[in-house]
Amino acid sequence: MTKLSTLLSAALFGATALTASAVFAADKPELTVYTYDSFAADWGPAPKVKEAFEKECDCTLTFVATDSAIGALRKVQLEGADTKADVVLGLDTNITEAARATGLFAEHGVETPDNLSIPVEWTDKTFLPFDYAYFSFVYDSTKVKDAPGSFEELKAKGDDFKIVIQDPRSSTPGLGLLLWVHSVYGDKAADYWKSIQPNIVTVTKGWSEAYGLFLKGEADMVLSYTTSPAYHLIAEEKDQYKAAAFEEGHYAQVEVSAIVKSTKNMDLAKQFMAFTLSDTFQDIIPTTNWTYPATKTAAGLPKGFETLHVPSKTLLLEGTAVEEKRKGLIDDWLAALNQ
Amino acid sequence: MAYSTGAPFLLHLTLSRFLPSALPGLTCAALLLALVCTLLWQIAGLSGGEATLFASLGGRDWALLRFTFFQAALSTILALTVGLALAWALSHQRRFFGRSLLVALFSSALVMPTLVVVLGLITVLGRRGWLASGSETLFGVGLPFSIYGLGGILLAHAYLNGSFCVQTLLGRLEAIPAERRKLVRSLGLSAWQRFRLIEWPAVRGSIAPLATTIFLLCFTSFAIVLLLGGSPRYNTLEVAIFEAVKLDFDLARALDLALLQLLVCAVLVTLSSRFRVVDTVVATNPWRFAWPDSRAARALQWSLITFGAAVFVTPLLAIVVDGIGADFTRLVQERSFQQALITSLLLASLSALLATGVALLLAAARRDLVLPNRLGARKGASAVASLLSFSALLYLAFPALVLSLGFFLLARQLPGGLTLWASVALLVANLLMALPFALAIFGPALEKIGARHDQLAFSLGLSGWQRWRLVEWPLLRHDVGMVLALSFCLSLGDLGVIALFGSQDFATLPWYLYQKMGSYRTDDAAGVALIMLVLTLTVYLWAARFQRGGYAQR
Repeated sequence: MTKLSTLLSAALFGATALTASAVFAADKPELTVYTYDSFAADWGPAPKVKEAFEKECDCTLTFVATDSAIGALRKVQLEGADTKADVVLGLDTNITEAARATGLFAEHGVETPDNLSIPVEWTDKTFLPFDYAYFSFVYDSTKVKDAPGSFEELKAKGDDFKIVIQDPRSSTPGLGLLLWVHSVYGDKAADYWKSIQPNIVTVTKGWSEAYGLFLKGEADMVLSYTTSPAYHLIAEEKDQYKAAAFEEGHYAQVEVSAIVKSTKNMDLAKQFMAFTLSDTFQDIIPTTNWTYPATKTAAGLPKGFETLHVPSKTLLLEGTAVEEKRKGLIDDWLAALNQ
Repeated sequence: MAYSTGAPFLLHLTLSRFLPSALPGLTCAALLLALVCTLLWQIAGLSGGEATLFASLGGRDWALLRFTFFQAALSTILALTVGLALAWALSHQRRFFGRSLLVALFSSALVMPTLVVVLGLITVLGRRGWLASGSETLFGVGLPFSIYGLGGILLAHAYLNGSFCVQTLLGRLEAIPAERRKLVRSLGLSAWQRFRLIEWPAVRGSIAPLATTIFLLCFTSFAIVLLLGGSPRYNTLEVAIFEAVKLDFDLARALDLALLQLLVCAVLVTLSSRFRVVDTVVATNPWRFAWPDSRAARALQWSLITFGAAVFVTPLLAIVVDGIGADFTRLVQERSFQQALITSLLLASLSALLATGVALLLAAARRDLVLPNRLGARKGASAVASLLSFSALLYLAFPALVLSLGFFLLARQLPGGLTLWASVALLVANLLMALPFALAIFGPALEKIGARHDQLAFSLGLSGWQRWRLVEWPLLRHDVGMVLALSFCLSLGDLGVIALFGSQDFATLPWYLYQKMGSYRTDDAAGVALIMLVLTLTVYLWAARFQRGGYAQR
């Protein structure tokens, strides 16, 4: 029976592989980038990045979407030596130490450019930043009249006020919120989570799912970025979506990419890493990923970004400090939600 | 034992005579057991490497175990209540337009893709769903409850399992002999008295086996809890295993959770095998007259049927309404959709053939071991027969995520790549999933055929292929069709193994749908759900048409 099923599945595998190989019959080298779904989506940065990079690399650039950024890392771990990933794009500084510890990533070999403009100093030789943003709750001002201006006000809203957040184990925004609450409340963070537990409609695996639920009306607020309203403003010409400014300050996110050590296209992967800090790539970011670019480009930020809330106080923990606390904080968070 | 002097010779003859028909089935059972032992050894071997067993589990996990028990118990009670109420109402209302279709629809819940049902329930009962918008327009307030969380899980479990047990319970109620009904009529008992004295004793025997099966299904529930759990607060062990691998890549923890799951399921399966039901309902006296029900009882029956049908059909209707708006021309041109569709259809067809073949072999071997004119009288035959039946029930003790974790660990040591092993894991899981139902259909049927036709067939010297073509096949045709359809649909809708193995290179329709549900493309999700619903219902209802002709029912 096992023999039979092996045979059958080999036939099945053959059929799938055949259709796949028919499409990628070209002999150009292929660079595969694992990233989170909204980056790889048709309306995300991927199509433009692909077009621009393929012009200069004589290769095929393929984005593979996972439901979350940490999901992309886990996928590489899960696939082990078999992985097709050459680059993982979309992790952030809160998870880089965990990613480094897997030993799966190689040095990027890119000099830090002079026009780098992110909230932290950069010396990391493995992970390279490509954009940054500030976490924030986003709401529809036509439906929510008095949006909370702090975590305490959010708590005071009562149980009927619903929010949707992401899982800190899979999603970098989810982990960001965990660290944001921790930065504000310290040892009292677990108590805070207990108090807002009734407000949480659901915890999603990634950002896209949460934002989708919010847009469908399943929640009053969603954990996203201060820059998210720019999408509605610029792409949809709708100005009712706002980021709730919190007086405790906003936690920042610096998104990074890294080369997978097992890549068979090391030179191409390094070329791609350098490309992520070029003006071409950086100018694609604001109106497709809806975040701030990592460098000051000649073109500058698009019109509309000046209307966004810029936090007066930025919170961001060191990567190593995060890694020391991450497991404990997640356990506390799970315990608090289990009350 | 009173054998004649020729007995040793005769015994030798029967053994060699029935070996060709029993051996393939016995080999299948041995292979299945060996495979599961290998996977178990993979899991236990790696987990045993730690300092202490279950070292990675904390207080949170015991709370998880408690919650899973609590959830499964509540789900079982709810499902049985729903199923019994509907079966009772339907057994009293024998004639109305669409009754047989309704019963067939209820029974299709067994193979209904859980993802599709969940999507339908969200469309109807979500915070901005049909019911909420209706309530807001009418009363100015939204729904007082949320579909995410324990309520949603219980609802989905009651929906799927409640409908699935309607048919079994209805069969029991309809088998109540006409003589007893006549007696009841002459006594002028009330509806409640009748239920207590006649109907409850008729279904009581089915309650324990149904309850244990439903409990096990809810205890190992994966897709529903993953989607409706809402937060890590409402997990099952299956979902926790999935999260340990996919979110934390903490294999040690996944192994411990898997062992815990195995332990609990093994105990439950052992307990449940004590309630083996002889499910050969023979309705010898089909009755044509109605129960003399009071007006109130009739009203209650009609409200139950109407309400039950509405609750069952509305989420499916929601899938149709939402799905029709999808952009099918773009969807069918999408390469990832084509691949998922082809993979799913191929896998479903292969596992349908495989499950039907293996189940027939197992059933044939079981028949040889059970019938006294075959090997049934031999020492140890019944023990081998029980082992054979157990090999068909492995899935209940070894649920999808534990199975796929075993395969995953195996794949890391063996050549062939993940995709190859993923397809093997899916085929094996789908086979194991279909076997309990397939054997329940083939087993009694083959035994009955043997009992009725063996003498004639033996005297005519029919054997092997000839006998199958002339005796078994004409009688089993409808049952084969049913098992093919059942295993095809079960495979088509399954989001278990694929959740761990799914990737851009290897996707099935449920996996594709799960991905789409998590993104903006909710229109696409509705479209894919509609395709899955239509495929499942077409195949299942087509097969259900023949079900009355199934030999086991005669």
